[in-house]
Amino acid sequence: MTNKLSASVAGGTESPLLRRRSGFAHRRSESMGAYTLLLPFLLLLLLAGLIPAAYALWTSLVNRTGSFAGIDNYVNVVTDFRFTSTFLNVFATMVLYVPLIVIIAVVFALLIHASSRRLSASVRFIFYLPGAFAGIANFVLWLYILDPTVSPVRWIWSVLGYDSLGEVAQGSNVPMILSLILLFQGVGSWMLIVYGALNTIPEELIEAAELDGANAFQRAWLIVLPILKPWIAYLSIMNIAYALQLFLEPTLLGNATNGKISPEWTPNQLSFTFAYGVGDLGAAAAMSIILLVLTLGIGLFIVTRTDLFGDAE
Amino acid sequence: MFSMKKRLFTIASIATFGILLGGCAATAPDDGTISIWVDAARVPAVDALQAKYPDMKLEVNTISNTGGSSGLKQQFTLFNQSGEGWPDVIFFGALDDIAWAASDPVDYAMDVSSVMSSDYWDGYSDAAIAPCILDGATVCVRNDQAQDVLWYNKTMFDQWGYTPPTTWEEYESLSLDIADNHPGYFTGLVGDALTTARYLWPSECPTNVRVDAETVKIDLEDSSCTRVKDMLNTLVEAGVVSAGGAFDSEVADKVGPNLVMTPGATWFGNYLFRDTFKVPAGQISASLPLAWEGEQPSTGNEGGGLWVASKHVADSKLGDVETILEFMTTDSSWQVELSTGFPAHGSVQDAWLAKQAADGYFADPDTVSEVFLEAGAMVAPYSLLNYNTGDVYTRTVAAKLASGGTFAEGWEDFASELPKEAKTFGYTVATK
Repeated sequence: MTNKLSASVAGGTESPLLRRRSGFAHRRSESMGAYTLLLPFLLLLLLAGLIPAAYALWTSLVNRTGSFAGIDNYVNVVTDFRFTSTFLNVFATMVLYVPLIVIIAVVFALLIHASSRRLSASVRFIFYLPGAFAGIANFVLWLYILDPTVSPVRWIWSVLGYDSLGEVAQGSNVPMILSLILLFQGVGSWMLIVYGALNTIPEELIEAAELDGANAFQRAWLIVLPILKPWIAYLSIMNIAYALQLFLEPTLLGNATNGKISPEWTPNQLSFTFAYGVGDLGAAAAMSIILLVLTLGIGLFIVTRTDLFGDAE
Repeated sequence: MFSMKKRLFTIASIATFGILLGGCAATAPDDGTISIWVDAARVPAVDALQAKYPDMKLEVNTISNTGGSSGLKQQFTLFNQSGEGWPDVIFFGALDDIAWAASDPVDYAMDVSSVMSSDYWDGYSDAAIAPCILDGATVCVRNDQAQDVLWYNKTMFDQWGYTPPTTWEEYESLSLDIADNHPGYFTGLVGDALTTARYLWPSECPTNVRVDAETVKIDLEDSSCTRVKDMLNTLVEAGVVSAGGAFDSEVADKVGPNLVMTPGATWFGNYLFRDTFKVPAGQISASLPLAWEGEQPSTGNEGGGLWVASKHVADSKLGDVETILEFMTTDSSWQVELSTGFPAHGSVQDAWLAKQAADGYFADPDTVSEVFLEAGAMVAPYSLLNYNTGDVYTRTVAAKLASGGTFAEGWEDFASELPKEAKTFGYTVATK
């Protein structure tokens, strides 16, 4: 400490007292900058996230006349004859979709990362393109593919023995169809995110491994993937959340098949029916709180298990 | 300097909040504009209305017409919550919509029995206006009737030496005959939400009998139901009745042009046979609805739109609303010239039938006209409830058929789900 003091005095810099004060102010203005940038997001989170969630919680605890109803709404929801099947449906979709998108996004990102720059740029563009369509345009495209009367690949359907959209989109095929639609839409953007993450890995690390005798697969499996763990966790959380709260695609598919797919195929759709079909807003709110708790729970589990917000080594 | 920045941020966020909240408060002044919601097929009706009454101020909103659409219910629930926004006049394409629109909690429809004149009401047969009568009040006016008749291809029948059946038993044996001797032709459609109206309603099968506002009778074990189930199971197995629906694309392509006989609504003639299946002119004819052996013929109803006025209409606009309801149901510039559905009001039926005969699409237009008129009075009584029986049928029976199961298997699903659906909507289910 005395050395530092004499050193700074000798070096002709400002006195340590002054420097300490400007250091403190510098950190304060840094965090003020962070809060400034965060403020719009926090405002939106409040208006579009926290306040509606609180309102839903309150709605789920009162009955139609406004008096406290305890867990009545939750009991109604859980004992509804469609409750279990909605969760089975989304889990069936999740079990197909999430592993596929994680594997495909990571594998493609690794392949593109390893290829030449020009090839990599054009392949990245091609893969990203489906994601650039608005969801509904993507869906209409899939309706054409799935309907044997207009499909460009109708030979697939005739091999499988399907003559109509209703047969293609029959109950047992729906999780696979939804997974395909979501994959087509999403794999491009996620692949780019993982690719961006790959670019942050220092070259020296990979070269060191190569010098140690690791082949391409070992480098990917033993070095790159562990570093990518936070991004894979992020990828999983976002897609599990979307799959759990699935609404748009099953509704559109149900409309397209003129009602053969139940309008209460997913939990979110069941909540919608409670709200606007039956007019029971309390039950709808209860279902949405159940979904919220489930999604938060899974998210927290993944965050803690993969140390997503932990400090880098 | 630090605290001034914080003050600035606080002021900025409060200001943003305030602006966002303030934007919600604006309401438009009421200047006598009538808001009218119609589906795409009824937009010409509104145009005709405006042409006849150019001084009437109309604000038109086009809505979707998928039957029992919860999108409409959603909007009305929200209107009730916010206390504003209801349309003054609305067209419902599905009969079931009036059930939820006229009862709690939505309670939107105005009782028009005293608004229209008694001459006007005389123009409606009991069967035509029946869907609008709820607990003694008349809560809507009927735009068109969609009574089921028996459609058949006269050209093919003449060629094969058949005459149209008069009983359901004859329908079944003739269908099996066609399955054996003329494979590749079809005699019915059971894959859409209107199937229950087409086959179960005429048999008076108790799928949804309204006992009172909170109780519904559902008894699918009744013989009036099982006879239909057995008949359709046999015919679907034989491949002569299609598992497709009236609006499916593969039916339009492959089944429709070969549909030589089917019970179906009056609008099947133009909308399905002429425009969708593109069967050439001069082939299609219709005969009277079928009866079960030893019983009187009775038939169902596949739609038939309703015009509904809002309870919340300002008194100053009541006169215009009455004019609109009367125009939409009795004026020939819409009902005769443009409407594709058979008019529900007696005053315009003959003119509509004459115009249809002049179009020359049917093999024998005079017979078809007579059949339409007679069948209109044969519609059996039917209760409208807050849920749609046809929708439950589609996601059980039609879905089962689409995944390769049999009609009987689908029927089991239908029988178990229908009472559960009723209970979700708050009904108590009685079986006797």
